[in-house]
Amino acid sequence: MAVKFFGQFLVEKGAVSREALLQAIELQEQKNLKMGEMALEMGYVTQADIERAHRAQLTKDLKLGDILVEMGILTLNQLNEVITRQKNTHLYIGEALVLINAFSKEQLQQHLDDFKADQAQYVSDRIELPAGVANSATWEMTADLTYKMITRVLDLQFRPGKCQQVTTLSSNFMMAAMDFSGDVEARYLVSVSAGLQKTIAKAILSEENVDTEPVEVLEDTVMEFVNVVCGNVAAKASQMGMIMNINPPVTIHPPQAGIPVPEGYIGLCFPIHVGDEEKMELILLIKG
Amino acid sequence: MKRVLVVDDSLSVARQLEKIINESGEFVSVGHAKNGAEAIKMNHSENPDIICMDMNMPGMDGLTALRSLVVLDKEVKVVMVTSLGGVGDKFTEALKLGAKNVISKPFEAENVLQILREL
Repeated sequence: MAVKFFGQFLVEKGAVSREALLQAIELQEQKNLKMGEMALEMGYVTQADIERAHRAQLTKDLKLGDILVEMGILTLNQLNEVITRQKNTHLYIGEALVLINAFSKEQLQQHLDDFKADQAQYVSDRIELPAGVANSATWEMTADLTYKMITRVLDLQFRPGKCQQVTTLSSNFMMAAMDFSGDVEARYLVSVSAGLQKTIAKAILSEENVDTEPVEVLEDTVMEFVNVVCGNVAAKASQMGMIMNINPPVTIHPPQAGIPVPEGYIGLCFPIHVGDEEKMELILLIKG
Repeated sequence: MKRVLVVDDSLSVARQLEKIINESGEFVSVGHAKNGAEAIKMNHSENPDIICMDMNMPGMDGLTALRSLVVLDKEVKVVMVTSLGGVGDKFTEALKLGAKNVISKPFEAENVLQILREL
């Protein structure tokens, strides 16, 4: 019931043992050359070039290939050749498991079909963002996964509203927030009214009545919902080749006047319509 | 019955897990630690068979605690419980450090129990 990578799916369903998976990962690590190793093998760079590029990376936030091009060690064409060869010779985890005889080629195909079916529920629907937002595919995926988790985890009927760029986050009963770092810097927030906080608590705690629950437990359930969504966003991002780290969630009690979007950030608000009495929003504060 | 220690900074996740464990009839919860450091102390005082531990916690996180637990106690079986389970390198890192399996959030009761039974 979550975004997974193939190896994890196989261990969870008992198709391979933890030990077999680790053995296959070790084989992958031996066979799959990193960018620098592949460029070295193809004779385009020397070990000394790679060490120089690594030193340059300490002061520049660029990938090794881009640094090597910038330093005039590799041409752009050579970089593309190296990347293409890396892709063409990549040993996938399923193939590695066949090589160590964890299962047959035919069984691999069946497992891949099962995996595709399991993960189909997390394939993105199209969500439109305002023009000019960087990494728009990542944020569309984030909104889409939020909607899917509202349905799956909270079992809530809702209608997503049109995404709008905002300069102030409007007030609400509470917000739960989580920060993303890595290839992108952003804050993910879910804003809920009092009634919706209870709805979320009932779903997370599997309780029919949460009227006697302490405030910290009610707030914790909203944070946990945010944690579940953001962890799955990070997993989906890793499948898209991006690194997104998450930090533990926090709660915010916004003042009546709302919260201004900090300087240097873009504020995106996705209204989530759940009925006339309640208010829920997904908000993304994206740096740069 | 196998004794299980739950480690999670989230009160609601700890409640969810302890409910699943205690209602199973096969496992019993011996308590709830809120971070890695508490987990190490409670592993010593409660001597559980299994630890279900979150990865992403303030203070000592789950992977740091896992590194210590597998050295301090060769018998205890640690399962990580995380929303980051789908991030391939996090999953792999947990297994390499000695976790027996990883439960991804959101989880379902039967899925949790199945993983605990197979330990």
